[in-house]
Amino acid sequence: MDRIVVTGIGVISAIGHSVNENHAALVMGKTGIIKGGGNFPSRYSGLLPFGEVLVSTDELKTKLNVTQPGVTRTTLLALHAFKEAIADAGLSPDELSAHDTALVGATTVGGMCLTDELYANTHGDTENVEYVRSFDYASVNLFIQNRYNITGVVNTMNTACSSSANAIMYGCRLIKNGLASRVIVGGADSLAKFTVNGFNALRILSDEACTPFDQNRKGLNLGEGAAFLVLEKESDATGKKNYACVSGYGNANDAYHPSSLSPEGDGPYLAMKSALESAGLNPADIDFINAHGTGTENNDEVESRAMLNLFGTLPNFASTKGFTGHTLGAASAIEAVYSVLNIDRQELYPNLNFSEPIADIRLQPVMDHRSAAITHVMSNSFGFGGNCTSLVFSKP
Amino acid sequence: MMFYIHKAACISPQQTFGDIDIEQLHVAVDNKLYAIEPKYPHFNGNALRRMSKSTRMGAGAALPLLADNDKPNGIIIGTQVSGMEENGKFLNQIIEYNEDMLTPGSFVQGTPNTISSQIALINNNKNYNLTHVHRGLAFENAALDAAMLVNENPAHTYLLGGVDEISANNYTLDTLGGWFKKEPCPSDGLYNSTTAGSLSGEGATMFTVSGNQAGAIAKLSAITTIHSSDVAVVKERIKNFISKELPDGKKIDLLLTGENGDARVFPFYQACEEILDDQTAIARFKHMSGEYPTASSFALWLACNFVGGILNIPRHMIKRHGDLKSLKNILVYNTHKVGQHGCMLVNVA
Repeated sequence: MDRIVVTGIGVISAIGHSVNENHAALVMGKTGIIKGGGNFPSRYSGLLPFGEVLVSTDELKTKLNVTQPGVTRTTLLALHAFKEAIADAGLSPDELSAHDTALVGATTVGGMCLTDELYANTHGDTENVEYVRSFDYASVNLFIQNRYNITGVVNTMNTACSSSANAIMYGCRLIKNGLASRVIVGGADSLAKFTVNGFNALRILSDEACTPFDQNRKGLNLGEGAAFLVLEKESDATGKKNYACVSGYGNANDAYHPSSLSPEGDGPYLAMKSALESAGLNPADIDFINAHGTGTENNDEVESRAMLNLFGTLPNFASTKGFTGHTLGAASAIEAVYSVLNIDRQELYPNLNFSEPIADIRLQPVMDHRSAAITHVMSNSFGFGGNCTSLVFSKP
Repeated sequence: MMFYIHKAACISPQQTFGDIDIEQLHVAVDNKLYAIEPKYPHFNGNALRRMSKSTRMGAGAALPLLADNDKPNGIIIGTQVSGMEENGKFLNQIIEYNEDMLTPGSFVQGTPNTISSQIALINNNKNYNLTHVHRGLAFENAALDAAMLVNENPAHTYLLGGVDEISANNYTLDTLGGWFKKEPCPSDGLYNSTTAGSLSGEGATMFTVSGNQAGAIAKLSAITTIHSSDVAVVKERIKNFISKELPDGKKIDLLLTGENGDARVFPFYQACEEILDDQTAIARFKHMSGEYPTASSFALWLACNFVGGILNIPRHMIKRHGDLKSLKNILVYNTHKVGQHGCMLVNVA
């Protein structure tokens, strides 16, 4: 079987509107987490820090030439990253609409970013019905599918914070099972009252910039953004830029609690272990882990223990949540792009805001930008409902 | 892409769970077909209160398939939005309390992957777990996932399900969107209706599937999804699907369609019927299940029971008798909200 290679990447996040802008911020250690960005109308805007994409929804519509009604911010962010990824891979309109081109996207907010509009509609507002057809998760990818006339498999998944890792895994499996020759995979989420209030009610939002893996971490910051990757069979990609290959993936459930991980971290451990097995690698082969590292008390401690259990001695690791915030359904895709950059540029990016290791665990993440020889990167994503997925990217 | 179906369970607006009787039709009330839910004796009161209706129905339908402590190698669920009622409660709280003093219960319960994760919790199942939410193809995509898993690991067994609920929120939104009838429509008048929209429905259907033929009740031998609003394109794709997937010399004995009384959608079903000759019997199911994004999972449950010889096709389902001497191959065709189409070919095991 051919290897599956990454031939195109696209990303929009709080640290930049393109791969180049994101890369520059990663290198400089420049965070995108701020208070009061101005594009997210909520009582918490200005009170809590967010990883906000600093462009208004109207500006996105203009920039992307979206004129039809009912298109949500989530969809616009997705479209922005999708466009960059397919241009990067040089996919033609014919390739996009070919029967063997698939689109697999993830989102946990979808059209539910329109909290106020939904409220009005569900309470009998029949005059402003622009968004009644776009309230669900599928609306994001259905818009892209229509716009680019994609006729192959189109799918949307939602497994909370691991959603887009599963989209990437699913895309690879479509290729391996002969159901697609090329797949465009990723995820998107916009800041929404829905998720901000949900996480706030769970008391896991920090009122300062998050500090993943730090002893004094106070919780996570929510962010928004989107990323897509074009995956192709290596034999179809001759002559193309080949960033990395997707060499392994593992999906497991923690089966412990709806919104927190088990103390033993069975789900994270099993996801990482099966990703290694699927890649045919040993723990010692991994050069770097892009950790889930949300900055919550529960995640960082459990993830640390699970990594220690599997790896014994850990390779370099870091969380990029201090740059972008936790972008939920977009997180794994954005971090997949960063993992691909680790390999392509042979460098590591810092885990921001770290000062003191978690007592008893004593793990220290990468704290600066530096060159490194990187062959295999693991990227972790663990979500509500115990949905855990790990991916392995390797040097082509 | 194929799998064998070994067990199937269904909670629906009809008597499909426990003592099954699909001859007697339970009709819509106020254009809604609510599921007949069992008492869920295996869940205690506190556990039940913490579940959305989707999770309750999904876990309830999964339980009989997980008896004897069976642990499937994966749990794959298709749902449009799952706990929309809980989502709606939380959305309402956000506005009505101006984003202050909220409790997280409805937020956590409304997350769509709660169905698969709740089943994992009950079954202490740490294996593969995935939730597909691609609206009218959420179940077909989940089934495709299961088929790929079976292809990857033929000896493994997977739990596959389709679940959606009627909530005040999605009923209102989809009525505003024109997908449910605005005038009263009795169940037995659904297919004579000439207006837009259908009846609203809900349900949870669960299957255990594997690559193992022994003891199976049915085989899903092929599945395809089509994204198009063009009748001619859809007709051509269904035609190609049948000629590619149906072995030479075999015929479709029964076409089971999701015809739903929506005048805008009817041309697609008509086009599908035109592909098959007069010998093919035609049956419909939306007067039983109502319209919902994963209603095709209800159709697959029916098809398994028909080819497995477990149930007979009730008279109220039949649109055309055709020449129904034997029932070996069923084509299930369903479309949702114009634009998303799914075909499943179901055969005797």
